[in-house]
Amino acid sequence: MPRMYVLQVPENQGVLDVAQQDAGLALDQVGPYVRITSAAPIVIDRRATGCRHAVWYSAVAGLENSVITQHDKDALRVEAR
Amino acid sequence: MSRNSPGQARPVHRVRGVDHAAFPTFDPNATVRFYRDVLKFPIVHSICAAGWGPERHPDFIHFFFDIGGGDRLAFFYYFGWSPQGDQTAPGDAWARLPHGTPEFFKNSRHIALNVQDEEDLLEYRRRLDESEWPVEMQVMHETIESIYTHDPNGYMLEITRQLRPVTPQEDLDAQLTIAALCDVTAGPAPSMDKLLTRKAELIVEHAAAWEAEQPGRREAQRELI
Repeated sequence: MPRMYVLQVPENQGVLDVAQQDAGLALDQVGPYVRITSAAPIVIDRRATGCRHAVWYSAVAGLENSVITQHDKDALRVEAR
Repeated sequence: MSRNSPGQARPVHRVRGVDHAAFPTFDPNATVRFYRDVLKFPIVHSICAAGWGPERHPDFIHFFFDIGGGDRLAFFYYFGWSPQGDQTAPGDAWARLPHGTPEFFKNSRHIALNVQDEEDLLEYRRRLDESEWPVEMQVMHETIESIYTHDPNGYMLEITRQLRPVTPQEDLDAQLTIAALCDVTAGPAPSMDKLLTRKAELIVEHAAAWEAEQPGRREAQRELI
């Protein structure tokens, strides 16, 4: 089951907003981090987040039994390891 | 005279910033033009010293520029000493790297000076752009905006402003990142994938307890998601 962590800072809010709107993703908090869990691969569309490059490429704080299979200008994709 | 009253323990972390960071120069004229005349950093100290010591130490001048906050940037000029290494190779006055060394690695060693706000950042941009050493890049990072150039010695200089204060959770995140980095670089074949996996373990171990220790944080943060 793909699971990733994102630190809750203003610059990451675009990523969290997009994740929040995806019914397939479950969000909960672990301290100042948001944990995103999904049955299917987690896919975040970069343009929907509005993130600039430096933010986009540093948004992932942790991976739990998961692996990043795409992290480019189009999308972030996290799948079960 | 002690700043502390008798019996009062001093803090563990006692240093007070950069006294000076020192670099060699073979071109004191250009160095002074760049730092004193273009950037308007006052010269605040210098040492004229005859060579001494067990090595064949040349006579030298050690000179210092005020970089604000009581901190100083210093240079050594050694009489009769020439640049070392292949001067067509990437590098600076201190050292030359092998041909083909990428720019990101060369520029990883740099000095960054802090300014208060956008007005001051743009003022330094203006000074540099009117000089022989114009700004090469102006970049908005996550929480900082920076301008970059190289000084006459090839040292990369960054001038930066914070767009917002660093928050306590970013300090925690930095501590967990570096703990994970030390763990994965102590093992074989370190990678970002291994770091993020190790960091997730550390988040689970520490993040909730950290937040519980932060007064008033929980309610404020919940409003964000």
